[in-house]
Amino acid sequence: MTCEVAPPHGADHTLIEERIRLVKDYCDAINITDNVRGIPTMDSGICAHFILKTGAEPIMQMSARDRNRVLYESQLYGAYALGIRNIVFITGDHSLLGTHPQTKTVFDLDSVQAIQLAKHLMGGTDLSGAELEGVPEFFLGATFNPFADPLELQAWRVEKKRDAGAKFFQTQAIYDLERFQIFMTKVRPLNVKVLAGIIPLRSKKMAQFMRTRIPGMRIPDEVVSRLEKAGAGLESKEKKAAICAEGLLIAEETINAVRNIQGVHGVHIMSVGWEESIPGLVEACNLYPRPILR
Amino acid sequence: MKLKPNADILEMLEGYEKIVLFGDSGCAQLCDVGGILQLEAMEDFLIQNNKKVLGYVFVEGGLCDIHATTLEINDNMNMLREADAFLIQACGVATQVVTDLIPEKESFPAVDSIFLGVMPERFVHHETCVMCGECVLHLTAGICPIARCAKGMLNGPCGGSMDGKCERDGETDCVWQLIYNRLQSLGKLDNIRRIWGIRDRSLSHSPRTIIHEDF
Repeated sequence: MTCEVAPPHGADHTLIEERIRLVKDYCDAINITDNVRGIPTMDSGICAHFILKTGAEPIMQMSARDRNRVLYESQLYGAYALGIRNIVFITGDHSLLGTHPQTKTVFDLDSVQAIQLAKHLMGGTDLSGAELEGVPEFFLGATFNPFADPLELQAWRVEKKRDAGAKFFQTQAIYDLERFQIFMTKVRPLNVKVLAGIIPLRSKKMAQFMRTRIPGMRIPDEVVSRLEKAGAGLESKEKKAAICAEGLLIAEETINAVRNIQGVHGVHIMSVGWEESIPGLVEACNLYPRPILR
Repeated sequence: MKLKPNADILEMLEGYEKIVLFGDSGCAQLCDVGGILQLEAMEDFLIQNNKKVLGYVFVEGGLCDIHATTLEINDNMNMLREADAFLIQACGVATQVVTDLIPEKESFPAVDSIFLGVMPERFVHHETCVMCGECVLHLTAGICPIARCAKGMLNGPCGGSMDGKCERDGETDCVWQLIYNRLQSLGKLDNIRRIWGIRDRSLSHSPRTIIHEDF
């Protein structure tokens, strides 16, 4: 069980500590995102450091959009020095979808190559072949989107990421179980660890925003109409509460369903700013208390 | 290429009265920025704004052909001597060629050079090459992922490719879907099944120079 918390959109690190405190007993590790859609938030490595300080285990995301190979190497050394061990490499949503569309994107590497780079550093030399003063040792992770096209090529990318060195995978948020099952038939033979992605929905507007503005998201009509029906005939606060409850129920059902799919080893809940929902959801799925790891 | 907004052109020509326009029958004309029609339109516009247009230098072929441009300049030397400034209705290369050939006067760009591409029909242009310095088209079925993937990915597509379209907008084709489809029809999907290793980006560091061996 891993959870994702949103890094602060500013310099207040107490926010990250607050968000972590809400979820840390309900998961085994906490994922921290890296400037999603190019919207600047506190550095994922720095946030991972604050996660460590609370006694939780961080998973640091690194996107290829904003850094070249030099910065990758430098930040990976720093991350290891801070005690960060789990890194998830992502290509990164295009910044044209975010709040800073005027920026220059980098994409010196893609996510597969970034994993190759990290794996290379673990061998004791940098990309130039120079010996490292201290060799980092990471648990390398990656992501895949079961809903992206073309399906065969997306499955090959999972294989490429595995071959590059990825040991575990987070998936895009799952609402379309049928398609996820089809994709898992391609992933199962690869023998990788898969954490199925879950985002609890809290409004119809959110579902629609995700459908249109978040890349690679497939939300079936029936999910949206379930939210609609839940709120039907209700007003203001009651309506909101009913829709949130339905969103959590959908998430709970999805968690229970994916746990029965062969090849799924865990669940990755992305709270997208709704950290308060995580404890109840984890409890509802009978996944609390978490086993003691250390 | 795109002509700059009128206001920008007037701003850069402020303080200069006698102007000579440059265009060519190659890219400048094809892109509708520096053919005879656009030079005439620019002349009308500048006259309306109290400039004098002394005439045109129009190169058959491209202004980037230094030899052809030098011949045209020599033929028009009297007009060019009289001018206060030159307005180049062609790419940034052209503006720099004229700057190099006539350094005693200033050449101004009337155009924003945007990309290298194809023109499937008049007025429509698509970017297809970024001059990366290491062509990979033999492996990608003649379709360039570096120029045509929004992220320039080599191990594409990213997780934002859906229903054949790029995550950036609903209209741009996902180039990796196109590459996949065509490699499949060619029976060469293996080309993209292996990991594409980290690329040598020094090949695309500007400024670049090529000196061909004499043959």
